Amino acid sequence: MSTSFKTESDTDAPVKRALITGVTGQDGSYLAELLLEKGYKVFGLARQESWYKANCASHLAGKIEILFGDVSEGIDLATAVQDAKPDEIYNLASQSRPGESWSRAPETLLVNGLAAVRLFEAVRHNCPRARIYHASSSEMFGQTEVERQDEHTPFNPVNPYAAAKVYAHQMAGIYRDSYGMYIASGILFNHESERRPLHFLPQKVAYGAACQALEIANSPDRNERGRPIVEDGKLALGNLQVSRDWGYAPDFVRAMWMILQQDLPTDFVIGTGLSHTLQDLCEVAYQSVGRDWKKCVFSDPVLVRPLEPRTTVADPAKARQVLGWQPSVSFEEMVGRMVQAQIRRLQRFV
Amino acid sequence: MKKVLITGVTGQDGSYLAELLLSKGYEVHGIKRRSSLFNTDRIDHLYVDPHESNRRFILHHGDLTDATSLIRIIQSVQPDEIYNLAAQSHVAVSFEEPEYTANSDALGALRILEAIRILGLEKKTRFYQASTSELYGLVQETPQKETTPFYPRSPYAVAKLYAYWITVNYREAYGIYACNGILFNHESPVRGETFVTRKITRALARIKLGLQDCLHLGNLDAKRDWGHAKDYVEMQWLMLQQEEPEDFVIATGIQYSVREFVDAAAKEIGIAIRWTGEGVNEKGFDAKGNCIVAVDPRYFRPAEVETLLGDASKAKEKLGWTPKITFSELVSEMMREDLKAAERDEVVKKHGFNTYQYHE
Repeated sequence: MSTSFKTESDTDAPVKRALITGVTGQDGSYLAELLLEKGYKVFGLARQESWYKANCASHLAGKIEILFGDVSEGIDLATAVQDAKPDEIYNLASQSRPGESWSRAPETLLVNGLAAVRLFEAVRHNCPRARIYHASSSEMFGQTEVERQDEHTPFNPVNPYAAAKVYAHQMAGIYRDSYGMYIASGILFNHESERRPLHFLPQKVAYGAACQALEIANSPDRNERGRPIVEDGKLALGNLQVSRDWGYAPDFVRAMWMILQQDLPTDFVIGTGLSHTLQDLCEVAYQSVGRDWKKCVFSDPVLVRPLEPRTTVADPAKARQVLGWQPSVSFEEMVGRMVQAQIRRLQRFV
Repeated sequence: MKKVLITGVTGQDGSYLAELLLSKGYEVHGIKRRSSLFNTDRIDHLYVDPHESNRRFILHHGDLTDATSLIRIIQSVQPDEIYNLAAQSHVAVSFEEPEYTANSDALGALRILEAIRILGLEKKTRFYQASTSELYGLVQETPQKETTPFYPRSPYAVAKLYAYWITVNYREAYGIYACNGILFNHESPVRGETFVTRKITRALARIKLGLQDCLHLGNLDAKRDWGHAKDYVEMQWLMLQQEEPEDFVIATGIQYSVREFVDAAAKEIGIAIRWTGEGVNEKGFDAKGNCIVAVDPRYFRPAEVETLLGDASKAKEKLGWTPKITFSELVSEMMREDLKAAERDEVVKKHGFNTYQYHE
């Protein structure tokens, strides 16, 4: 394995270069910040239409170098790899909405599945020594029979998003084993933050709680069906009994970086190891603003997915032992921060 | 009359399945890719002139990588059953063309399922997906059955695994009658010439008649569970005739190494091979001391699948299926047919005409 990378005190060594796909998203933007802090030169691959509108990384304009391109086009990826000449690549670009993957199944496979292979091929031919972090997902476990999922748990995907992620994850392993490339996948459980878009559950709940706190009966933001997210003082959600392992995104991007600093590339499950139901989430969010969630939330059958993954909860023992990683922000603290951020955002509407 | 649509109808399984379904009285539609070379050798005996009336075997131009063509064909045929047998099916080539392999094998299956859904045929059209024992790859238990965890080792296997899952997902989410047949290796005299069994019988026949000197192979220790394609397509049909759609492993339950296949095939034509050396230096000699089999590392795969052995108990129990054709009958038939082809070449050559020299 290459050991030519600089340590933080070693100022004579060349600056490390990182390429991030999906830089305009939640994880991409936090990761870019982390890498800038560590002295990396950061390149971000983004579609023009993503970069030129407000996005999670807008505030990093001028600090990171944006390369325009689309991961579903092999030429764009090969060009980005050639231009950035990266030491580390973080493949985070994704169609990231499992629920929507039913209506966008082919696109989901192209972006979440084939794009990874195009990237691996581009790296294999242009800069085979680059280290690649690939973003896998706990959705791959789907309707698993295993109570706590670790790196050895068999996959059982239950939607096109998860099936595409399994495809990319397996291909990452094959490129690593067949060609000796440094490719490591992080199987990340749900991770949220103030930067999550509103269609992700925890953000939607935080938004709902913020509306209650500000006594907004009909919210300015609308849901997928064009209705106010909070309508007549009520927030509509799907199955309230689903439970997830929800962590804090800045903690998780730290794990991504740590994974690429290991001598040998291996896969890691990253999660808090704690499971909360959607109902728990509502309780914490509404409680943080002194409201009773039961009066403000209802379960709408329309929002229940055709197939729902079972309870997923991480067994992050390997990450703890090998990387020394553990989450620094608790579930309650994270939800509190998200609600407060939504309150700040909504205040201008009051 | 029931109508079926077969993708990959020009392939080994497609041709056997078309024959079977025609004998059962179906109207059989097949999809073939346009090619600058003729690619219908295996189904030419089934061909019916478009000018004849009451045709029951009809070919359509189309491609699994072209969603529009699939929707057009499925729309016009309105099939009761679709057998998705088309694929970039060569494991070694999938390392060189991973993207095309995914486009045809993974996205291709999805495109058909989407077409069924978009055209409102969820309740009418039954779907068979040709899954493969390559899904087991680095095997997690032996023998492999429906519940064995998958561990794919090639871009081909990973693409097929996506198709497997998406078939399960569409069955569960939309109630489509869709099943996976997880078929272990199945061979026949019309197996593609670059697949190891056919490569062996074809080369030995040509060596026997002096048309070729030596057969170059990769991993001689690889063990496979080889059945006859004719038996296996019957199972494909059976799977779509049940009350409920389910996935099935189809296999013989007996395993041989590539070396054993070579020995069995050689014996058929009266050649006893003497093996010497190990690994890349292993060689097989005939009685006269000519080296007729040698290892060429070029045929090693970046990640080898060493052993595959299927347990088809579920198919036997629920469908009453057992393979009828034995390993030695399979080898014997393949050898006999390739010997005929080699003899034809020999005659042609003897009379001063050119014979086609096909190479990988």
